[in-house]
Amino acid sequence: MKDDERPAATRRSSPPPPREGRRKRRHRGKPPGPFGPSFWRSPIRGPWLTSVLGLILLAGVSVVFVTGLLSYAAYNPGLSRINDQTHGKGLLGFYLFSWPTHPVWLYRLNQGLHVTLGLVLIPVLLAKLWSVLPKLFEWPPLRSPAHALERLSLLLLVGGAGFEFATGILNIQQWYKFPGSFYTLHFYGAWVFVAGLVVHTGLKGRTVIRALRSRGLVRELRTDTAHTEPEPPGSSDLVSPVPGAPTISRRGALAFAGAGSLLLLATSAGQSLGGPLRRTALLAPHGQDLADGPNGFQINQTAAEVGIRAEQTGASWRLTLGDAGPGGPAPVRLSRADLLAMEQHTAHLPIACVEGWSTDNQAWTGVRLRDLARLAGISDPASVLVDSLEAGGAFRHAVLSAGQLIDPDSLLALRVNGADLSLDHGYPARVIVPANPGVHNTKWVASLTFARRA
Amino acid sequence: MRRQLRWYGASPLHLLALLACFGLAGYAAARLVSSRPLAVAAWFIGAVVGHDLLLMPLYSLADRSVMAAIRHRDPQLPVTPWINYVRVPAALSGLLLVVWFPLILRLPSPYQASTTLSADPYVWHWLAVTGALFLLSAVAFALRLRGRSRTARLRPRSARRRALTPNPPGRGYEYQPDRPGHRRGLEGGPS
Repeated sequence: MKDDERPAATRRSSPPPPREGRRKRRHRGKPPGPFGPSFWRSPIRGPWLTSVLGLILLAGVSVVFVTGLLSYAAYNPGLSRINDQTHGKGLLGFYLFSWPTHPVWLYRLNQGLHVTLGLVLIPVLLAKLWSVLPKLFEWPPLRSPAHALERLSLLLLVGGAGFEFATGILNIQQWYKFPGSFYTLHFYGAWVFVAGLVVHTGLKGRTVIRALRSRGLVRELRTDTAHTEPEPPGSSDLVSPVPGAPTISRRGALAFAGAGSLLLLATSAGQSLGGPLRRTALLAPHGQDLADGPNGFQINQTAAEVGIRAEQTGASWRLTLGDAGPGGPAPVRLSRADLLAMEQHTAHLPIACVEGWSTDNQAWTGVRLRDLARLAGISDPASVLVDSLEAGGAFRHAVLSAGQLIDPDSLLALRVNGADLSLDHGYPARVIVPANPGVHNTKWVASLTFARRA
Repeated sequence: MRRQLRWYGASPLHLLALLACFGLAGYAAARLVSSRPLAVAAWFIGAVVGHDLLLMPLYSLADRSVMAAIRHRDPQLPVTPWINYVRVPAALSGLLLVVWFPLILRLPSPYQASTTLSADPYVWHWLAVTGALFLLSAVAFALRLRGRSRTARLRPRSARRRALTPNPPGRGYEYQPDRPGHRRGLEGGPS
């Protein structure tokens, strides 16, 4: 995939002379370099390759967008301001619904798909950007108001894509260099990107169909480098008027991008699949195993990092069960021994992070949240506010919905895989709710405050 | 898009679609930039030019330099048969670096504190994958050269010449039989 090669004179199929003449006249006074059409020499660049890449990208990005919207819904932002990282969403939260608790792997699948597919699409995006490079240097830059507006929408499309991919890639590696909260940037940025994507898809739909019909996919996939010919000159701005000799076929270019996708898939999917496959994720942030043992599964926030002190989690720790409404019964205070003396349940649930990694099901043992609500004197709770011992941070507290509360698998877990929780997994007690985003399974729980139905 | 607005340069539908797009994007963008408008705008513009004005010139330059260097050393050597065996592993390794550079260069300071994992292995993993890619590519190239020379040896000289020039005249650009370097490159190349 390169743009020079042999001098134009040795090339066999140069564009017909009259067209060349007209072109020259029309572009008189054009600055040299990339703004001239003959700067771009790749013989495979053209509407067909761009259309194929565009369609793959459109299908993939649609899944990434929808799973992204679902992930936002999974935080139940409509339930409480506490759950909402983007308070100003306004109409952009039109689709929100109460996040279900089943199947228990729902969030695990959603986020694994969102992040892994996002990574897999990077080479396709780069190939697509490469395929339309001459468009950035179109001359004259603005031909009409329509052309100007369309180029502005491309700014949203390309800028939005780069912005979304960059913030996502940096966030999963915890390199928080982007300007502001990840949630704000990634959520609103997605809508800017999608605005550009929808209009681009609409405006280019016919061009894509025409381009795909112009060359059969099967025939193109059977064509090697030696037999690769440029698309007809003048059929599109993307086609070079002076194409160089091919160094790769269209089939080869697609395989090239596909190899990049496969490589990213192979070196990252393991962190979402878990089990023995985790270690195949050679470059993903959660591709390493922790030490063996009942607590030997992935952690994304340690007690030390959030400033939990030993004396807070020792024998003096008490869980406070409260009633959010006025005039309710006095708060109930329970020690860890009190909790262990209550009816214990075991639920097999994964931890799944917004960053895409997840664990296999772990056997969590503890007290059902609905039993604790009853103990607090509330038989029909509408929601519960879970507060952690953490002193700060956006996820030191979370609000769980009625549906999450009454699920028999929703626990205040005290033990995992037959052992006490480790400090980094939330000792003395943590919340675990099926299909819940990881950060809402609050660790080091200090209090549960139940709200009654109005 | 049959009816065109003359002052505008496209159909009214085109205008409506774009205005709807800017409406939605503006609504989201107002919220996007609410905290640090200049920094967010800079990131956005950076995302627009990041590939086209930074990555692309870099990889194009690298690509051309490799081809030019080899051609300079031996002008008879055909570029096409081997360039993809360098280009593909190099680009794939570069892709992994572009995506995972924060971990590879151990930049995220909270990583170890929050995950209890060390970022030290990533640079070695990346180098190992890079090595494996080049090794695979070298093996694939060697196999291809062997396959070519074997088929060539089995044929009489005239047929052999044709086999090495797969595209009949007028159909493509490569393997021009009048360029003597091709035969040498394919048969006695760097195998």
